[in-house]
Amino acid sequence: MDYIQSIILGFQVALQWNNLLFCFIGVLLGTLVGVLPGLGPVAAISLLLPTTFHMTPVSAIIMLAGIYYGAMYGGSTTSILVNIPGEAASVVTCLDGYQMARKGRAGPALGIAAFGSFIAGTLGVVGLMLIAPPLAEMGLKCGPPEYFSLRIMGLTILTFLASGPMWKALLMAAFGLFLGSIGLDGMTASARFTMDIVELSDGVGMVPAVMGLFGIAEVLLNVEQSIKRSVFETKIHHLLPTLQDWKDSIWAIIRGTFIGFFLGVLPGGGAVISSFVSYAVEKKVSKTPEKFGTGMIQGVAGPEAANNAATAGAFIPLLTLGIPANSVMAILLGAMMVHGMQPGPMLVQEQPGLFWGAVTSMYIGNVMLLILNLPLIGLWVRILKVPYPILFPLILLFCLIGAYSLNNSVIEVLIMVGFGLLGYLFKKFEYEAAPLILALVLGPMLEAALRRSLLLSAGSPMIFVTRPISGVLMLISFLLLAYPLVPWLRRKRAIIPQVSDEG
Amino acid sequence: MAKFNNDQVSGAIWIAVGSAVALGSVRYGLGPLESPGTGFLPFLAGCAIALLALIGLIQATLKRCKGTGWTPILRGVLWQKPLLVMAALFAYALLMKPLGFLLCTVLFIGFLLRAVEPQRWSVVIVGAIGTALGAFAIFNVWLKTQLPPGPWGF
Repeated sequence: MDYIQSIILGFQVALQWNNLLFCFIGVLLGTLVGVLPGLGPVAAISLLLPTTFHMTPVSAIIMLAGIYYGAMYGGSTTSILVNIPGEAASVVTCLDGYQMARKGRAGPALGIAAFGSFIAGTLGVVGLMLIAPPLAEMGLKCGPPEYFSLRIMGLTILTFLASGPMWKALLMAAFGLFLGSIGLDGMTASARFTMDIVELSDGVGMVPAVMGLFGIAEVLLNVEQSIKRSVFETKIHHLLPTLQDWKDSIWAIIRGTFIGFFLGVLPGGGAVISSFVSYAVEKKVSKTPEKFGTGMIQGVAGPEAANNAATAGAFIPLLTLGIPANSVMAILLGAMMVHGMQPGPMLVQEQPGLFWGAVTSMYIGNVMLLILNLPLIGLWVRILKVPYPILFPLILLFCLIGAYSLNNSVIEVLIMVGFGLLGYLFKKFEYEAAPLILALVLGPMLEAALRRSLLLSAGSPMIFVTRPISGVLMLISFLLLAYPLVPWLRRKRAIIPQVSDEG
Repeated sequence: MAKFNNDQVSGAIWIAVGSAVALGSVRYGLGPLESPGTGFLPFLAGCAIALLALIGLIQATLKRCKGTGWTPILRGVLWQKPLLVMAALFAYALLMKPLGFLLCTVLFIGFLLRAVEPQRWSVVIVGAIGTALGAFAIFNVWLKTQLPPGPWGF
């Protein structure tokens, strides 16, 4: 009964005309972002965050969430038609999607991607509605030591899943913690590392950091290579999959949904990993694994379902425990804090309208996306033909305006440009920026939990291992850190794909 | 530079960064463990950076002994283009207040369209003016973002 009332409340909020409008704008922009290679959901949400400052918090979250799952939908279009993934989670869709297009089956590939995404996105939201409230209740029983351990575990998982040597990922997380400590000390209000720059009193902004590390750095990396895109010149017809296509792909969609949802819930999991895992599973269960990579519809349906279900799953730790599962969620966490909300166990109880409104808007958003994706594919293809030399100045201008409008300050712009240069160098020296962003966002909360815990325990760090929940979380973190020392597990970790944009 | 590989160079830089952070944190006060001070967390972070970088440096040195050398980070790419973009970004940040949003944006977009991957002048002029006016309409007029007006009032 509680659920039904909550859902009704959610729909009452989500169906308000302004929220419907912002949901539509969100999914439209998200699809556009997904379609355009070189602009991922992280950069897009950061770019558009300043535009939400005039909205109500619920409208802002509805729009920003719409961008995220909209991008997952849109990303498949470029993978199938151009063989370039619009965002990282669609990398694997290229393998069979593009081959289907080359065989004249671009229509069914795009169609099953859209339907698979819709089914998975909707089932994912159902899962979110069922799991989030009990998890939030459990979160209420946690104290500072548990929160500290939980955040440490989040950071450890993300560094564990990052590509390349683990010392680099951990180093980036430590650097992020340092950056997060810049500004006024939350407990004593004394300034740290601000260099007498007033703008730094509030800390290093997450928005300029993300726009620099992901938006600007991505542009710098793209312009140093002459990108020549050629859209696959074929008439796209028969978008509706045939009965045989459905038979071939329905189980792939269902498996992808489950894989995506549960991997999405895990901190550091997310859409990229789940799409790869789904592809691997489909290949494993197939009677003709050797045909994967030649245009198998299961190779499109499974991963596309997985990356959409993962977006719903990723909201669970954010909304219930205040732990972002990936860098997109880290930005959403920042966005919610900008709007005066504190995501965590209290959110469901204190602001049920916001929580359930945001969740139910995802249902509506999924329907909008299905309607948008199928008839508007022609438009997306035309947008794909916009040459990158014309596109990148616009991306940069958006970043510049976004950073400036935070505080009407040139310093924020310079910070963003500085992070852009850093992000470019990080890529060149093969350091991943995602752990840095997560640590930057979690840093102040982690520090507060650490200091409160030590106050509670009169300085004994044993509090983190003697309390049961905290102890288990710490044990998981320790095991993850010890993993790379075991040779065969280290090899296994090395094949996990690079989580460049999404998380 | 060829004496060292990439991870040795970056590792050494990170050791310096970590040490500087740790030393800088000490002056904010570390405090006792039962009541950690302002510098406590950044001190831990600085130590972690330096320690992890040291591990990386040792690993990279072992690899260097086995023959892993310096991989040029700018080989085979048009490195001048990111340089031009960075210059344009810094110039924009410094000039947007003195010149005002509109003029600065016209110059910025025009420069990028012409200098990075040269477009026809007609595209450059129409693109630069159109983008600046469009962005002004969206952000300044519609979203009420206060963009710098410049000495001419726009």
